[in-house]
Amino acid sequence: MPSLFINSVEIEVQPKENIVQAARRAGVEIPHYCWHPDLSVVASCRMCLVEAGTKKDDGTVAMQPRLVPACQTPATPNTVVVTDSPKVKSSQAQTLEYLLLNHPLDCSICDQAGECYLQDYTYQFGKAESRLDEPKVQRQDKYYIGEQIALFTDRCVMCTRCVRFTREYSGTAELFVTSRGSVEEIEVLPGQPCDNKLAGNVVDLCPVGALCSKDFLYKKRVWWLKSADSVCQLCSTGCSITVDQSESKVERVRPRENPQAQGSFMCDDGRFGWKFAHSENRIRAPRIGRASHGQVASPQLTTIGAPTNAVEQYSMSVNQSTPLATATVSDLTFADPWPGLINHLQSVLKQSAQDHPTKTLAVFSPFMTCEEAYLLADYLKKTNPKITLAMGPVPVVGEDDTYPKGPKGQSPAAEKTRFTIRAEKAPNRLGVEAVLQHFQKSIVNDEQWLSSMELNPFETVLVVGNSPAEWLNDETVSKLRRAGKLIVVDILENNLTHAADVVIPGVSFVEKEGTVVNHAGLAQTFHPAIRCSDGTRPDVRTYMELSGRSGLYHGPTIRAEMASVIPAFAAFETGELGELGKRVFS
Amino acid sequence: MNEAFEPVLLRRRGVAGSQTLAYYQQDGGYNGLQKALKMTPAEVIKVVSDSGLRGRGGAGFHTGSKWGFLPKNYEGPIYLCVNGDESEPGTFNNRILIEEDPHQLLEGIAIASYATGASVAYLYLRYEYGQCYRTLEKAIEEMYANNLLGKNILGSNFSLDVYLVRGACAYICGEETGLIESLEGKRAWPRIKPPFPAIEGAFRRPTVVNNIETLACVTHILDKGPEWFMSMGVPKDPNNPRDPGSYGPKLYCVSGHVNNPGLFELPLGITARELIEKHAGGVWKGRKVKAVVPGGISMGFLSADELDTPLDFAGPGKAGCLGLGTAAVIVIDDQTSMVDVLYNNCRFFAHESCGQCTPCREGTAWSSKILRRIRDGHGKMSDLKTLEDISNTIGIMPGTTICGLADGAAWPIKNALKKFRPEFEEYISKGQKTEMREALAAH
Amino acid sequence: MSALSPEIREKIISYYGRYPNKQAITLPALHMVQEAYNCVSREAINEIADLLELNPTQVVDTMTFYGFFRDEHHPLGKKRVWVCRSLSCMLRGGDELLAEVCDRLHLRPGQTTPDGEMTLELAECLGACDGAPCILINDELQLKVGVEEVLALAKPQGGSKS
Repeated sequence: MPSLFINSVEIEVQPKENIVQAARRAGVEIPHYCWHPDLSVVASCRMCLVEAGTKKDDGTVAMQPRLVPACQTPATPNTVVVTDSPKVKSSQAQTLEYLLLNHPLDCSICDQAGECYLQDYTYQFGKAESRLDEPKVQRQDKYYIGEQIALFTDRCVMCTRCVRFTREYSGTAELFVTSRGSVEEIEVLPGQPCDNKLAGNVVDLCPVGALCSKDFLYKKRVWWLKSADSVCQLCSTGCSITVDQSESKVERVRPRENPQAQGSFMCDDGRFGWKFAHSENRIRAPRIGRASHGQVASPQLTTIGAPTNAVEQYSMSVNQSTPLATATVSDLTFADPWPGLINHLQSVLKQSAQDHPTKTLAVFSPFMTCEEAYLLADYLKKTNPKITLAMGPVPVVGEDDTYPKGPKGQSPAAEKTRFTIRAEKAPNRLGVEAVLQHFQKSIVNDEQWLSSMELNPFETVLVVGNSPAEWLNDETVSKLRRAGKLIVVDILENNLTHAADVVIPGVSFVEKEGTVVNHAGLAQTFHPAIRCSDGTRPDVRTYMELSGRSGLYHGPTIRAEMASVIPAFAAFETGELGELGKRVFS
Repeated sequence: MNEAFEPVLLRRRGVAGSQTLAYYQQDGGYNGLQKALKMTPAEVIKVVSDSGLRGRGGAGFHTGSKWGFLPKNYEGPIYLCVNGDESEPGTFNNRILIEEDPHQLLEGIAIASYATGASVAYLYLRYEYGQCYRTLEKAIEEMYANNLLGKNILGSNFSLDVYLVRGACAYICGEETGLIESLEGKRAWPRIKPPFPAIEGAFRRPTVVNNIETLACVTHILDKGPEWFMSMGVPKDPNNPRDPGSYGPKLYCVSGHVNNPGLFELPLGITARELIEKHAGGVWKGRKVKAVVPGGISMGFLSADELDTPLDFAGPGKAGCLGLGTAAVIVIDDQTSMVDVLYNNCRFFAHESCGQCTPCREGTAWSSKILRRIRDGHGKMSDLKTLEDISNTIGIMPGTTICGLADGAAWPIKNALKKFRPEFEEYISKGQKTEMREALAAH
Repeated sequence: MSALSPEIREKIISYYGRYPNKQAITLPALHMVQEAYNCVSREAINEIADLLELNPTQVVDTMTFYGFFRDEHHPLGKKRVWVCRSLSCMLRGGDELLAEVCDRLHLRPGQTTPDGEMTLELAECLGACDGAPCILINDELQLKVGVEEVLALAKPQGGSKS
């Protein structure tokens, strides 16, 4: 295998790498600003200059007299690279002095502080002082760059990553450079802000604190953030993401590079698609009894006690003219509603399976994880194989939204497509279908079970929702309502939960562990970033307890079990799918 | 010998009607093209190569080799870009060449296009030369009307279109890849190399970019032969195998503090002293020379002790200057402050830096600000060290920039601080000031 | 209402054959528009972009690089007079010429006389150093210029070449 040398470390040549990438494999960080693997090479920041040469056949090395940009130099066989010579170090320090000349050094109020490449490189490669003895150039901040994007103009290092992104990747070209030389700036045209669906990526791409996310602005110091590897659930692309949280509140979501999934970026729907997790509209306790249709709460309506429901119970008490004094502190504060709920559900489902198994239906949702679908399906079919397991509606909005766009917003040719926001607005249709295919032997689709509901209604229906947006239309809900008993698992209150006889709170993807299979059959496991919202618990735990499985839920164990039970999930064998996931089926 | 020199490139200067095709043809014009069309393109390249012609734009690259870098048997279009955006301060040879003798240039363009296989030539002309633009428009029209452009030129298989493109007052468009980007309708940010234009130039096709005076020389080389061209100038240095020699006539632009500023055609290698004293009428007002810019302000300065430097491709470099550049000689008299001169230079490069590479964008602006402060009477001795550091860390020479603009910004600083250091030290230590009137201070 | 006259649109379209792509017509189109309207308006940019199949931001990016083109908020006067300030002219009184003209006209570089007659500009080397100090009137050079000659240009019908 041909090799090259980075500071005397010999490494194998890999095709199409530049020296920055090769050095990274050799454990050497070459500082850079303008270069990004997904964008064209401009070699303009000059931060990555190194000494380079060639090792000849006779073993001698001929070094080039000038420094070369590592980003622009291919890592070819026998290349010799030196990144730590006095010449390179002095150049790095000098370039940093230039970059910081007019930089405001306002780290104390800058969002980027803590994850800023000006800070990091200055610490590693820079010098402590600037010799600038002139007033710094002051520039106007531009809060108008985008609905979600502000530009702190004087922090910009003119790497033009953002401009190249909007030209080469989103194709929307809102950002451009205006003027030239030391007075040039990043700009948008009036009335044409950077609001495309991929716009948020320019904030991540910005290596300094120039482009900031308004949503995250001044919310948290980044060093207080804790991160979890996750997977976006807003469409079937299944972007790998990082969820950053602090004190159990999600602060932001960023794309996590995954060449098997989406690449380096994500769309803004996903970027801000976690907010439902903190919605006021969360279901925070199990509930037995129907609350919908503007009915006054009936005596049967019992919100099974939980801390957050104290007020609700209090108001109910008032409605029923029961003196508050009759509710004890322990009733209000410490009652755990879940054992009662599990018992109730078990008896309802057991009864239904016994009395009318063919009239018992469970509707699965494409928002469920593979593990949830497996545990629930396994439990129900073990209760009675005649119970019908069906697939709920898979939301599809418009057509796949592909990038880069042309100058008039037109979609690119298929072979030129670099990013797709999929029309299928659910993360795991393929995974859930694979589970249903195994247990039901066919996919009972919504058309089929809805027509049954009309002609010959099921007696007992369990529906899992968990969609971040309204999932079923009112017509579907009214048909479901014809069931004698409607049990709903969901995260947010909606038309369906209002119609339900039993409501079981589910949790959002930022609160749980699970696996989803994207449009291309790539299975990725996501991890909880925050603890479950008060009063809720992971759906898998509910299904574990329903089925009487002992012990705590352990994802790898369940996935390994799935692999042994369902051939389609053979790739789950070890239970671990790694950071980037595994292709389970195509 | 110089007195006896018969101008070649400027032969028709000042002659009534010299711009017309009729005059040009009756004066022997388009002989070179006719000769070329009877040869193969490779033979034409060989003739130009054998003449030793080096580009007149500044870098002095061997023209025949540049043409030879084009891919052989290339299927797609090849372009010739004519660099008429030379905006190096002090340089005006192109203006006179075009205004006085447009066909001499256009003949060179046709020959070069034939040799390189270009079917389209873009003549990118700086905006300031409006009269040149109109002169060329007329001349090109005449050529189309007389089968010297268009399809099957002079009955041959060779076809060529020439299009004029107007610049918009940006110095960087004189850099060949900046010119190409500008031609393509983009901001003129020079391209990273490789690929060089010969492989991937205008519209990502093989491209040759040539200077106007270079192409005017090509016309005569084809007409009179390479030996004629090599009979002028400075032969190769026998002690330096890498010296390709400095052959042919050269247009020297002389401006500044001389009695007779103007354009002088002389064999390469005349000394600065001869040029100033014999041709430009000596220093004005009976003063003495303090410094001489040898080839446009990018090249730095010769001191009064270095006036015997031959102005060939190698000479100025031996005196510590960047090179011959555009052979635009600017004479600075002994009453002029070098602080003012250097400020003017630094201000120019700060204004013209394209803003792409960090060291140039920041370094040129910084040096300009430092000199401004020194002129305001607030200089510090440590400023000189900072200026030196800037001059040593910007440019292609150290490898910190994509193009050579920053080298041109660095050299005047280097030369001024080395050759005129006591003047700067005295200026600072005495707290001298140069008054700056309001209109100039704002920019 | 189109910002570009049918003639200008046609002229832009007539350039299509000159280049292998339409973006290359950006600079010629900007020149045509500024020459006709003394500025390049936002609407004109949109129409140029449309004709050249570009995003308007690409046209603006190119346009602002040169510092030569004016937007509708900074239109040019009837004459545009550039005074050279590069070294050769500086050595022969270019700075004084510019400063004097500015003082006498109460203008700063870049500004236009109140009657719209003349816009005064700073220029880097105009390429007429043999005639320093020199100026450029629209696109015609004038060599060895004195203060009074420039001031005359600020008057209606002033100057010879405009």
